[in-house]
Amino acid sequence: MPDRIKKFLDSGALFIWFCGTAVAASLLMVGGVLLLIMINGLGFFWPHALVEMTLTDGTRVLGELKGEEVIPYSQTPEFPEGRTRVRLKVGNRDLYGLDFRWVDTDRIATADSPNDVAAFERREWGNFYGRIREVARGDDVVATGNQEGWKALQPLIERANDLHDEIEHLQRDVIGDINFEIEGTRLRIRELELRGQREAPEVSELQAATKQLETQYRKHVATLRALSRQLDEYSVVLVETNGSEKRLAVGQIVKALRPNDMGLIEKILRYFVNFWSVLSEEPREANTEGGIFPAIFGTVMMVLIMSVAVVPFGVLAAFYLREYARQGLIVRVIRIAVNNLAGVPSIVFGVFGLGFFVYAVGGTIDTLFYPEALPTPTFGTGGILWASFTLALLTVPVVIVSTEEGLSAVPQEYREGSLALGATKFESMLRVILPCALPGILTGLILAVARATGEVAPLMLTGVVKLAPALPLDHHFPFLHFERKFMHLGFHIFDVGFQSPNVEAAKPMVYVTTLILVMVVIGLNLSAVALRNYMQKKFKASAV
Amino acid sequence: MNQADLPANQVEPTSPPAPSLRVSSRAWRRWVDSSARVVITLGGWATFVSIFGIFAYLFIEVAPLFDAASWTESASVHVDPVDAAEPETVAVGIDEYMEVGYVLRKGDIAFYALPAGTPVLLDPSVLSGAERSRRMPEFENGEITALARSPGKTHTYGLGTETGRVIPFYVSFRVTFDDDVRTINPVVTSGEPFEAVPTGEPIARLAYRETDSGPIAAALTGSGRLFLTKMQESEAGGLFALETETELLQAEVIDEGVEALSVLLLDDLGETLLGGTKNGRLLYWDIQDIRNPRLMGMYSAGTAITALSWLIGDRSIVVGTERGAVSVWMSVIDPDVGGDPRLQKIRDFASHDGVVTAISPSLRDKGFLTTDASGGVAVHHSTSGQTLIQIPGNGAAIRAAMFAPKTDGALVLDDSGRLIAYDIENEHPESTFSSLFFPVLYEGYEEPHHIWQSTGGSDAFEPKFGLWPIMFGTLKGTIYAMFLATPLAVLGAIYTAMFMRPNIRAVVKPVVETMAAFPTVVLGFLAGLWFAPLLEQIFPAVVAMFLLIPLAVVLVCIGWQFLPSRLKGQPGNVTELVAFVLVLVGTVCFCLQLNHQIETWLFDSDYKGWLQASFGLAYDQRNALVIAFAMGMAVIPTIFSISEDSLSNVPPHLIAGSLALGATPWQTLTKLVIISASPGVFSALMIGLGRVVGETMIVLMATGNTPVMDMNLFNGFRTLSANIAVEMPEAPHGGTLYRLLFLAGLLLFVFTSIVNTLAEIVRQRLRARYSQF
Repeated sequence: MPDRIKKFLDSGALFIWFCGTAVAASLLMVGGVLLLIMINGLGFFWPHALVEMTLTDGTRVLGELKGEEVIPYSQTPEFPEGRTRVRLKVGNRDLYGLDFRWVDTDRIATADSPNDVAAFERREWGNFYGRIREVARGDDVVATGNQEGWKALQPLIERANDLHDEIEHLQRDVIGDINFEIEGTRLRIRELELRGQREAPEVSELQAATKQLETQYRKHVATLRALSRQLDEYSVVLVETNGSEKRLAVGQIVKALRPNDMGLIEKILRYFVNFWSVLSEEPREANTEGGIFPAIFGTVMMVLIMSVAVVPFGVLAAFYLREYARQGLIVRVIRIAVNNLAGVPSIVFGVFGLGFFVYAVGGTIDTLFYPEALPTPTFGTGGILWASFTLALLTVPVVIVSTEEGLSAVPQEYREGSLALGATKFESMLRVILPCALPGILTGLILAVARATGEVAPLMLTGVVKLAPALPLDHHFPFLHFERKFMHLGFHIFDVGFQSPNVEAAKPMVYVTTLILVMVVIGLNLSAVALRNYMQKKFKASAV
Repeated sequence: MNQADLPANQVEPTSPPAPSLRVSSRAWRRWVDSSARVVITLGGWATFVSIFGIFAYLFIEVAPLFDAASWTESASVHVDPVDAAEPETVAVGIDEYMEVGYVLRKGDIAFYALPAGTPVLLDPSVLSGAERSRRMPEFENGEITALARSPGKTHTYGLGTETGRVIPFYVSFRVTFDDDVRTINPVVTSGEPFEAVPTGEPIARLAYRETDSGPIAAALTGSGRLFLTKMQESEAGGLFALETETELLQAEVIDEGVEALSVLLLDDLGETLLGGTKNGRLLYWDIQDIRNPRLMGMYSAGTAITALSWLIGDRSIVVGTERGAVSVWMSVIDPDVGGDPRLQKIRDFASHDGVVTAISPSLRDKGFLTTDASGGVAVHHSTSGQTLIQIPGNGAAIRAAMFAPKTDGALVLDDSGRLIAYDIENEHPESTFSSLFFPVLYEGYEEPHHIWQSTGGSDAFEPKFGLWPIMFGTLKGTIYAMFLATPLAVLGAIYTAMFMRPNIRAVVKPVVETMAAFPTVVLGFLAGLWFAPLLEQIFPAVVAMFLLIPLAVVLVCIGWQFLPSRLKGQPGNVTELVAFVLVLVGTVCFCLQLNHQIETWLFDSDYKGWLQASFGLAYDQRNALVIAFAMGMAVIPTIFSISEDSLSNVPPHLIAGSLALGATPWQTLTKLVIISASPGVFSALMIGLGRVVGETMIVLMATGNTPVMDMNLFNGFRTLSANIAVEMPEAPHGGTLYRLLFLAGLLLFVFTSIVNTLAEIVRQRLRARYSQF
């Protein structure tokens, strides 16, 4: 018997089992995190059923069921163990104070899902759950009762949303344009002043133009006011499940749904509508509601600018290292330096970007080209250009290493054959080697993009903001505004999850943002892996 | 032969391709080729130069922190010499732009434009008429015999007269901008005089202070009597009454040593009075009740005290003596005993050659300026304990001095009547190597500490720039994360490389590597908002998991040996992997189910209380354990992937040889594979280490970011990287904090560079060794 034990220990089976468990643990961690993000993120778009409960004390609760758990023992030591409680999203933040509520299961007398309750998504204060008492135009009641009111409300909401679009258009496009021009003339006047041409005829012309613009501005503001009044024309009285009333303007409601009354197909359709609205809308309520469009747009823009900056340098450096430089100590040192750069913490790049790009380069640009705007910095503050450049530095090693890999996979015979046929070195590079190495370059670019998409720390120092007033791309000349601050998906997660006043209510938004970010990053990585495999196969076949 | 290697002089660099000529087309091709070579080489080098440029730039931003301060004499004006009887009535001052200086003597004030030295007239709107231009009406009440600057205020004075009265006297500078041109106009006003010596004797020495509740004066007469006076303002007739009544509170201080007093000092709240005597005593009174001054202590400063001053904030006292010694004292209250505060000498500074004649504290930091009787000027900084500047004198004693409001200059007046302005370059007085990395005795502390507390509520706050707590936090996070990640990643790599079937490996490896793609902000968010609260609930279960999982693995492994191989299949196949997963999931579920019972059995049904009672450890929700999991997750794929590569790159014929000679897979692993791949595993760990050290978002989001120093697994910490992210947005460009954060960045850069270089060199060696086989 001891023999057998000795044999068992010698075989190392125990150790192998520990190793295997380590693999299993790693796999479970990946799977668990992905699953967690998927469940929480994907569940967000589903129109959840509303549950109305009557409690043993006679009060009623209406809301979305959000989970059930065993009450932690430490919180109720006097009760028997194993009691459970459910968590409900009850909304009506303006009435209750909190969006969520715990209800002990044994206090629930009845629970059902009536078809006539509705969820109202509002522009302020989050969702309202309840029924309609009446719809009114000014002081005249248009419809009373839940059913009548519901029917009357639908077209009104549509009209209100149209009005909102119109107001938005006025504010953003029309008035935004005027403000842009006013600011432009102000800067032009200041510029002339700085040049000592205060008395120039152009100044008075510009001043006159400003006056005219201001008149236009006032006119549009008046229109805006009229539209807002129209928004407030209709109001609706909502009543929550216990009978408290809440009157609000129809313009406050984004959409109203009766999830319990919806069929499966309808719910699925609604699911995709919700998904699309998150992708395409602007954020509301300190980013905790609405959509994440500006963050997606900012991320994409930043990554594009970064790609333009990083590819030429990375590819040139790789070609130099692999094809032109004499292999020796210097090249070895450079390779180590490139590898080191890949290992430098991203926050250090942020510090560098802030000091060098923002203050040193940006400050110089400001004094040379934008003296009229000073002391307000133009490029001397964080902006999308500096953030992109910082990330380009961060990701240049990725492109170099990947391109080098691509180059080293090109069989030596190709080079020799090309040169033997009389091509110059550059011609063989351009016509033969570069096309072969293209998948490698592309892999590098994709990996760089994936890394840049997920980086947040350096951006926090070089130009990302929680709410950007304008996108970095618009119809004003020169269309691409490199100096503007921008929003970013990763920073959105940090900001909404950790700096918003109501973290619990913001969580779904954070999960959705996380889901989108993770999907993008993992998708990019998988495509890079696929590309690399393709490349390896191709050259394995041709090398034979 | 490469055509580009032909001599370059055959090439016509500027000629465009000529039509029809073959030679020219060849030349054109050659030109393109060689210029492409130049462009690629330049592009390559530009990239590498920028890599090294980053390091250089960080260094350039950090270097000024350790620059020595420097000075230049910017102006020198000749005024009337100061006679021997006069010193007590002379003061000098300078505006914040260092453009206008003044000399105040016996109530006469003269302004000089610096550096030209031309006299400046007062703003005519303040004084009208030639006669009043130099003399205020109150001054006719009697000759000025003493003068005191109110500490904490730039140009506020109390003038003591020969009739025992005190006249508040204010100098200010009105700055106007016209067309970006700055004009500075001096303004002089005076306040309501009050009686500070009831006997009407002349005041010989004066301390004067304007507090929020009214001015206070401590006046010493020529006969050695000390009187305290406070003009207390009280509002008469309710809250909104416009009229205020002033009440004069007065008392004589009768204590031993009063007659020997040479200097006096009052604090900002009007609660303490300090006096320095000719026989080297430092006297310390409690004057909260102004009518009953109480001597709290008497301390020996060695030789006669000739100058006394508060540092900004009124917590540290600078003492200058006859022998030229300069020291800083602090009042401390023993927390165990309580009672009266004691004065304690905490630092000595470089001595002067002669008598210390004046001390002028900075109004923005803990720096101060001292002057001596041989004309020497020195600038010191209390926190860092260093003397930054020593300007040698020309022999004439300095009688009055002022440190410029922005601490970028000084104005002094010597016996011979020379008024000298100095420019002082002194950007970062508080940072020295020892104040950054060694414990420092800060104001209000009993003993030296490592503290990082960069900003406070007011100017009087003493910034505490001890980098050690943050470096310690970095170390703590790194150690715990590596503690969790190393075994998981390395053991996992060993199994994947050695025992797993290739077809499963082709799936498992990319899946684990996907984990590397998770943005750290996502891991940080999950750690902070999902895992931290969860862990707080299931902590007992997690502890049990650490104990039970190894046990379960051992038990199942033994059981596995008895299973028929028909069920097990080949080693390393999916069945085995599923078994591992099941063991793990089973144990985890078991522990979670028994969470509450475990808490009862192991931790006395309250683990937080138990931790506190048994080990004195506090449990924070966002703690190092959470970080260990989150950062471990961020770094496991890195370590796993590189280790796995180096393990599976061990030349296969070596392994085949070992197995052919009869070694079991286990023996092959321990005796051959691990040994030959260990440099690769080492470099994997190094690269992982580099990643953990600089990780920002996870730490930022899932610790409390408190710069505390202990190794407690259950509380938070602050790392270098998170510190940069937290404080950089608030740090003014070019300030000390800004440069210190660059220093933090540089430290990270250097550390990760060393670690990565080490890893890379080891890896290159290994690659060379394998290629020999």
